Amino acid sequence: MFFAAKQSLVAWEIASHSTLAMTNDKEHNMPNLQIFAILSGIVLTILIAWYFWFAPKAQTRVAVSESGAQEVAITVKGGYTPDVIVVQKGRPVRLTFTRQESSACSEKVLFPDFNQNALLPEGEQVTLEFTPDKAGEYGFQCQMGMLRGKLIVE
Amino acid sequence: MTQRDPVCGMEIEPQSAFAKREHMGQTFYFCSQSCVDQFDALTPFPSPSGRGEGGEGMTSATTGFNPQMTLTRIELPVSGPPLKEHSTHLEETLRAVDGVDEVKVNLTAGRLEVQYDAGKVDVARLVGAVKSIGFQVGGANVKIGIENLRCASCVKFIEDELKSTQGVLNATVNIATQEATVDYLPQKTTLSQLNAAIETWGYKPRPATSDAPVDKQEEAHAREYRRLMNKFWFATAVSLPVLATAYYQFVPFLRGLSMDTLRVLWGLTALLTLPVMFWSGSDFFTGTWAAFKHRSANMNTLIALGTGAAWLYSTFAILFPSFFPEGTSEPFYDVVAVVIALVVLGQALELRAKGQSSSAIKKLLGLQAKTARVIRDGEEMDLPVEEVLVGDVIQVRPGEKIPVDGVIVEGSSAVDESMLTGESLPASKKQGDEVIGATINKTGAFKFRATKVGKDTALAQIVKMVQDAQNSKAPIARLADTISGYFVPIVMILAVWTFVIWFVVGPQPQLVYALVTSVTVLIIACPCALGLATPMSLMVGIGKGAEHGILIRSGEALQTARAIRTVVLDKTGTITKGKPELTDVVVSDQSSVISEELLRLAASVEKVSEHPLAQAILEGAQARKLELAEVKDFEAIPGHGVSAMVEGRSVLIGNLKLMNRERITLGPLEERSKLLADDGKTPMFIALDGKAAGIVAVADTVKEDSAEAIKTLHSLGIEVVMITGDNRRTAEAIAKKVGISKVLAEVLPEDKSNEVKKLQTEHAARNIAKHPRGTQHVVAMVGDGINDAPALAQADVGLAIGTGTDVAIEASDITLIKGSLKGVVTAIEVSRATMTNIYQNLVGAFFYNVLGIPIAMGMLFPFLGLLLSPLIAGAAMAFSSVTVVGNANRLRGFKPTIQ
Repeated sequence: MFFAAKQSLVAWEIASHSTLAMTNDKEHNMPNLQIFAILSGIVLTILIAWYFWFAPKAQTRVAVSESGAQEVAITVKGGYTPDVIVVQKGRPVRLTFTRQESSACSEKVLFPDFNQNALLPEGEQVTLEFTPDKAGEYGFQCQMGMLRGKLIVE
Repeated sequence: MTQRDPVCGMEIEPQSAFAKREHMGQTFYFCSQSCVDQFDALTPFPSPSGRGEGGEGMTSATTGFNPQMTLTRIELPVSGPPLKEHSTHLEETLRAVDGVDEVKVNLTAGRLEVQYDAGKVDVARLVGAVKSIGFQVGGANVKIGIENLRCASCVKFIEDELKSTQGVLNATVNIATQEATVDYLPQKTTLSQLNAAIETWGYKPRPATSDAPVDKQEEAHAREYRRLMNKFWFATAVSLPVLATAYYQFVPFLRGLSMDTLRVLWGLTALLTLPVMFWSGSDFFTGTWAAFKHRSANMNTLIALGTGAAWLYSTFAILFPSFFPEGTSEPFYDVVAVVIALVVLGQALELRAKGQSSSAIKKLLGLQAKTARVIRDGEEMDLPVEEVLVGDVIQVRPGEKIPVDGVIVEGSSAVDESMLTGESLPASKKQGDEVIGATINKTGAFKFRATKVGKDTALAQIVKMVQDAQNSKAPIARLADTISGYFVPIVMILAVWTFVIWFVVGPQPQLVYALVTSVTVLIIACPCALGLATPMSLMVGIGKGAEHGILIRSGEALQTARAIRTVVLDKTGTITKGKPELTDVVVSDQSSVISEELLRLAASVEKVSEHPLAQAILEGAQARKLELAEVKDFEAIPGHGVSAMVEGRSVLIGNLKLMNRERITLGPLEERSKLLADDGKTPMFIALDGKAAGIVAVADTVKEDSAEAIKTLHSLGIEVVMITGDNRRTAEAIAKKVGISKVLAEVLPEDKSNEVKKLQTEHAARNIAKHPRGTQHVVAMVGDGINDAPALAQADVGLAIGTGTDVAIEASDITLIKGSLKGVVTAIEVSRATMTNIYQNLVGAFFYNVLGIPIAMGMLFPFLGLLLSPLIAGAAMAFSSVTVVGNANRLRGFKPTIQ
């Protein structure tokens, strides 16, 4: 549709005069808008980079239960909640996943570093249990990596 | 005062007794567990109602029990913490429950026998008490579907009815799923009795939706597919009128309409596309929001942003046309509807294609027998295979599948184990032999005792191992993971700058061009194709390996196996059968006997011997159907051989030392024996009545297909090395036969891993000299998994030759369950095919994005005046991930070059 939209230069000039009339000088009128667009672009870029990469993520520290295991319940819906989980090394970790969506993307959860994986039927609680014995950051994810979380072992 | 143990008769102090029992008014003391178990077995609880569980007060006067009490007896199989240490704790806990009369723990059987007052306490309470201290109550769990279960109050009736059925531990009915879940003791009740309980309330039981994860997943996929297709059809239906109004210039009735009328029509399409966005495309928006909260972004984010921006711009444009330059106030609702329809369709097709990739697992599970003919209390009954317990005796008739793993207790047969071991000839099985579940009984009928059931059977372990491997990660996926971690925000930033650049330096009308190009960028970018590339191929490839008897432990093993350049083969049991066989019978020129007679006499003597070589001679004679004779005066002479009298003749069988000791002249036989030894055989001289009569030779023979497999390895450009503890002469002989030129002989078992290490460093050094940054020289070791475990672990890829049952060989990266060396070739071929497929997928997905995004940004516009329509971008994005899954499915056509 926009391929077909042929505009006349005059129409655009008239329009910009009428709606955005800032100055009579055409040479200066356009650059102002353009500068605004460029500045917005820079601001948006910084915002995106900050929000997705640089801002610190909220971490969930797992308490040790009476039985000695570190238990945490994780909801799977568009993502893992909580998604950054801090545990202690050398103690068993018991992660209970509940998947609350039917999208096939999230039907499996994988911990490749621990060779653990589980099928998550919708609405069912599925527990994964293993003992991390080395400190470090280990990712967990769905099969194709659309949903991601992190297990931090301290 | 000491007491006498009534079982073994030992004198013991009551205080230090292992256990005590009250029986018929007397107290008995026992020295050990086995004594008390024997006693318990002989003196069962006097059941108040004979054998029944009804609990009517019909007690025999001799038992000393109060006949007024309504006592019920139950046996519960328990598992959990070691019973030995905790049995007292368990007994005390149960005795503390009100209504429990007597408790016995039978350690050897792992059973708990409880006698209780059914009026005061029920089974569920008892089970609860057992569980409260950390034990599990064994027994089966079954789900039964109930048809047309609507009234909520009936739930309670059915539950109670089930609970009161004997042997039922617990029962719950879920009205939402229309299913009853029943925990029960399979010894006490059967599925048909449970079904009958449901029928008493007028409901029809049906088999519940299968509990097998694969079936469950398939069902979930089918549901999800329908859901997606509904969304797709709705979006498509809306797309048609929306497209018509968007391209009104080309539609006869709309062409002539005035701008104002069109604007009203557009307003209507704005409303029409709302349900497309928030129903058909709801996943994109909820997914975006969920990810956004976690400070992450994914494919949903891109689609939601793209369609959302198009809708908002369009709505703003038709509501406030005066804000926009003439001709730029046209809407893009078509982008919203069509893109959502296409992406949803893509997801549905992807799901369908994914279903095919798990076919290998389904095939494996299909090998499992459905029912077993179990003999309990002398009665034969057909039970679902899930109900078979360890210790059950199962009857198998000719032509039937063996349901679980076990040991034959009666009868014999030939069993076709080809599906698990690859051995094409049926294996003969007699009493005491192991049988494997899922194999097929050919000729005879037999009874066997189940030793492994459920998830412990060999087949279940294979399935588990394959599934784990399918879900593991190949190192190559890490790159894709790293990229996709940054992918979406980068695309968002690119979309921002596309907008800015078109707005600043683009042609008229800038705003429209800027918006359309940036929306196209958001839509065409496809992180999914990148994320799917490795796991899909891995799933199909590893499944394909399993179909050919090759269990690849992980994606990493598969990736490494692709680059195998040197294969080290253990000799015994890998290249050879690992068992000596009779190969030659040589008759001395001076002797008057014929070779059959000589063998018959030798075999008659060896029949008595226990030497492994003797077994080979005996089997050789049996294979030739020779009648063996009686043996007298048998004598084994250690380090030399044997002597005996057969049919009045003195027979000597042994080595050169024996012949020299007996002063027997060998003549030309000595030369013959050297030739045989050069050929890798073990010759044994035979003397009859003090004269040299001949030689029998045995050897560990080469498997029929070893030479062919090694030839194929050579043709794949792989160096083959043989490693063995045998002497060089024997080793060279075997090597020549199978076409191996490099032999490492006389290697002690513990030095095998050092030899592998030497090969690795040697090649690494040469490799670095040749290609400084070249690929790694991968050394694989093939061995038996037990003696060769250290060498398997040392090698870059360890391939264990299994025997069907021991699949979980820890040291190996790949297990070849069919004992043939062809498996090594197939393993390498599978890994090569899978890795090639992964590369295709990754490169395809990578180039799709690397080319697609710049075109969407309008890079071609200045040169060719070409711009990509967002509708085409939507189609491309939807089908890029379908293509990846489809390409992975091509692997299903993989065929090994040698069968």
